[in-house]
Amino acid sequence: MPTASTSSSDHILDRLASSDGEVKLKAVREVKNQIIGNRTKKLSYIKLGAVPAVTAAIADADSDDVLIVQSAAALGSFACGVDAGVRAVLDAGAFPHLIRLLSASDEKVNSDDRNVATVKTCLSWLRTNVTLRDGRLVVDAAARSLRMIYQSKLAPKYEFLKEDNIDFLRSLLKSENENLTVLGAGIVIHSCETSDEQNNLCCAGFLEMLTSLLDGSLSQRDTSLESLAAIIRNNPEVVSKFVDLHTGRALSSVIELTKDRFPRTRLLACLCLICVKNSSSCYLQDMGTKTKLVYILLELLDDCGQVGDEASFAFSSLIADKEDMHKLAFEANAIDKFCSILQKHPLHPRRLEGVFLALGNLCSKLECCRSRFISLQVLDLVVDALTHDDTSVRAAACVCLRSVSRSIKTLSAGHFLTDKAVITLVQLLSDHSNNVQVAALGVISNIAIDFSLHKSVFMQYGGIKELVQLTKSMDSSLRLNAIWALRNMVFHTDKICKEVIFVELTASAIASLICDPEPSVQEQTMGLVRNFVHGCIYSVEYAFAEDGIILDAIGRQLQKSSKVEIGIQGMYVLVNIASGNEFHKESVMQLLFPQAENESHSFFNQFLQSNNWHLRSASIWVIVNLTVPESPDAFSRIMTLRRFGIVSQIQSMVNDSHMDVKLRARHALGQISTFGDG
Amino acid sequence: MPVRVLESSTPSQISGANSGHSSFQACTLLGVGQAFSGTQNVSSLQKDEAWRVNVRIQGCDLEHGYLCGTMEALNVPMADTPVVTFWEGEIVDTKNFTFFTGKWEATPEDDIRHWTKFQSFSPLMGQVEADGGKSLDLSNYPYIFMRWKEQYFVNVGTDCGLTIAGFYYVCFSCSDGSISGFYYDPNSRFSSFSYCPFQKLELKSTNDGRSGFSFPSYELQ
Repeated sequence: MPTASTSSSDHILDRLASSDGEVKLKAVREVKNQIIGNRTKKLSYIKLGAVPAVTAAIADADSDDVLIVQSAAALGSFACGVDAGVRAVLDAGAFPHLIRLLSASDEKVNSDDRNVATVKTCLSWLRTNVTLRDGRLVVDAAARSLRMIYQSKLAPKYEFLKEDNIDFLRSLLKSENENLTVLGAGIVIHSCETSDEQNNLCCAGFLEMLTSLLDGSLSQRDTSLESLAAIIRNNPEVVSKFVDLHTGRALSSVIELTKDRFPRTRLLACLCLICVKNSSSCYLQDMGTKTKLVYILLELLDDCGQVGDEASFAFSSLIADKEDMHKLAFEANAIDKFCSILQKHPLHPRRLEGVFLALGNLCSKLECCRSRFISLQVLDLVVDALTHDDTSVRAAACVCLRSVSRSIKTLSAGHFLTDKAVITLVQLLSDHSNNVQVAALGVISNIAIDFSLHKSVFMQYGGIKELVQLTKSMDSSLRLNAIWALRNMVFHTDKICKEVIFVELTASAIASLICDPEPSVQEQTMGLVRNFVHGCIYSVEYAFAEDGIILDAIGRQLQKSSKVEIGIQGMYVLVNIASGNEFHKESVMQLLFPQAENESHSFFNQFLQSNNWHLRSASIWVIVNLTVPESPDAFSRIMTLRRFGIVSQIQSMVNDSHMDVKLRARHALGQISTFGDG
Repeated sequence: MPVRVLESSTPSQISGANSGHSSFQACTLLGVGQAFSGTQNVSSLQKDEAWRVNVRIQGCDLEHGYLCGTMEALNVPMADTPVVTFWEGEIVDTKNFTFFTGKWEATPEDDIRHWTKFQSFSPLMGQVEADGGKSLDLSNYPYIFMRWKEQYFVNVGTDCGLTIAGFYYVCFSCSDGSISGFYYDPNSRFSSFSYCPFQKLELKSTNDGRSGFSFPSYELQ
């Protein structure tokens, strides 16, 4: 009588643990065949606990080579492209066994010799055994599995600063076995991070060894290119050694590979050259090379797979922060290219992220790039991506908008973003990802500057409340960017908006932010107050709210802060207050020249002598405003200024090296002289 | 500021710029948020007329010789409300831009004819005529020369009966923030209806009724 069939997976663990070698082998093969290229199956078997069972097969001294090969292959499949698989393989303790298997031989070895569980003991076995030739299938399977593991960030960090490890790695790279050489290069790609590691690998001759692989198979060429990039990245000294290698032939080989018929090889060659170019201003700075790199990467964008995805990131790396590269890319119609990619949807999240970041980089400095972007009318696609499921895509879309919103011309036209877009940005302020919040704040900071049409929308949808809430965050980058956005919002805004923000924020919170542990938060808050007290005359009163706690905080910070930018913002707060009425001017005087203070050590005197012209200029502007001839108490203030040596200090500035400082000094002295020589 | 429509405006041409030698020094009175007010003389053969004008600086990028802002013309006869335009400026720093416009249908002769209307240009005249002013060091000169070109209407449509085809030659005084300018419209020489050579703009720094100068600021991310 037929019975209900049971799933074979229900018994797979039993069969994997079977003492019958044939049964075990069949079970391992079954697992291996099911999981290849099938993420769902991999996760399913991982959950079932299959990985430890498979690992046991390679750990078992009595397992034959066929079983070991199949088990190693299965473990490699589990680890391929699935972090959960890598984790399961590592947790099962498979790693040291796979390392041990790299030195497998067809000959039976003593069981003692097989009990190597560490790289060090494996190395010691290697030294006493002659050949890696035999047991090739086992070695290949183990090497391939380890390659899969080392493609994941979860792989254990390889310590390049240990001599034994360098020797082992060298033995891999010098092997005639392609899988071993590729594994060696893969370990460098994964683990080489610090300049010490780079220098050590360079000194140990790894540049030469890896360069020799450029003439090898496709896998060897590609991993060689990636590993060379890892060693030279951001290291001018190592770059210089690489460029000189074989009298420049190594670099030429890489340049030649940018024309290879395989797209991935072209991409990796470009990435290697970008590392050379970015690490040192001496190499690959000619227009020809720069232009070629731009065009090759733009062409690689047409690849539908991972190469096309990664080409955008390579492009960003090539042009980031370099205006000359932005110009070149603009002339190569890069903006059009990236925008046309946006119009082909749906796009893989990685590709979308790369395109947005590339556009963000392209539009970060030049108005021509921003204008071109806007003219192509893809802004809606970027705005749509603000609600994408993928966190990185949302953040990248914000980065793109932030760059484009640097166009004051576009902001002034008042129609940069729709109300809907503004509302979406407000919602992103409470995104679960900090990165997205910070990126959204960046956009809001810019569009706040001429937000005239949207401030009401922004306020209506709780934007001010969100920003104020973020100024209280434990995360300093959120506090900084929130206060930055508020500062820009208060620039040239109407009375109603100012009042709403001030009431929501409160004077005591502002005073607290002026004394924030982060200097950049202090600076932006001073900038905020500077904007609050600018405008119509009654605005000055904001500085005096709650018994003047804001002004007191500013005075304290100006006394003790050494950061010039804080001094500049703080002085402009005083400049703006001193353009008020007599009470306002006197308050500034009391802050700058307290009665009890030693007359010669006023911090203000130091500001007048600062190396920074902005600070000198701002300081003199305070004096200009305090000595306006029409103000009733100007004369008594001038007496105080003389007593504190300020007037003579300003006299010494009439020929200041900076024109603006010179003109303000003359302006101030002109006013002071109307009251006589004192 | 917009003027009455005469003919359709011609497209502007891209002008080249010689690379200069000295770094331009900033002036605090020509910074973002700074406001200026005054008049533009729009007198014609038919009548004397002056429009009240307010200007505000919105953007400033000295490295690229760029400035921008808004210009508000009040008491414009054919407009119900003040007319606001957005303008972009080229700062003559001999690095990004020279005294020669090279576009907007302004010939070198037009340029010299307008620049010489500014007294502060006289000391520079010889060098400008000799080599276009390339060897001039303007970094310590207490005047800043610019061209301002209106780009679009902010609050009215293009069918308002006004045109923004021309541009201003502008001289800014760094010591007191005063601005004078002359409007150049290539179309005006062809119209007898509103021919008005050297429409003059005169502005002073304003302070919103305060006793002194006040400076707001923003910082782009």
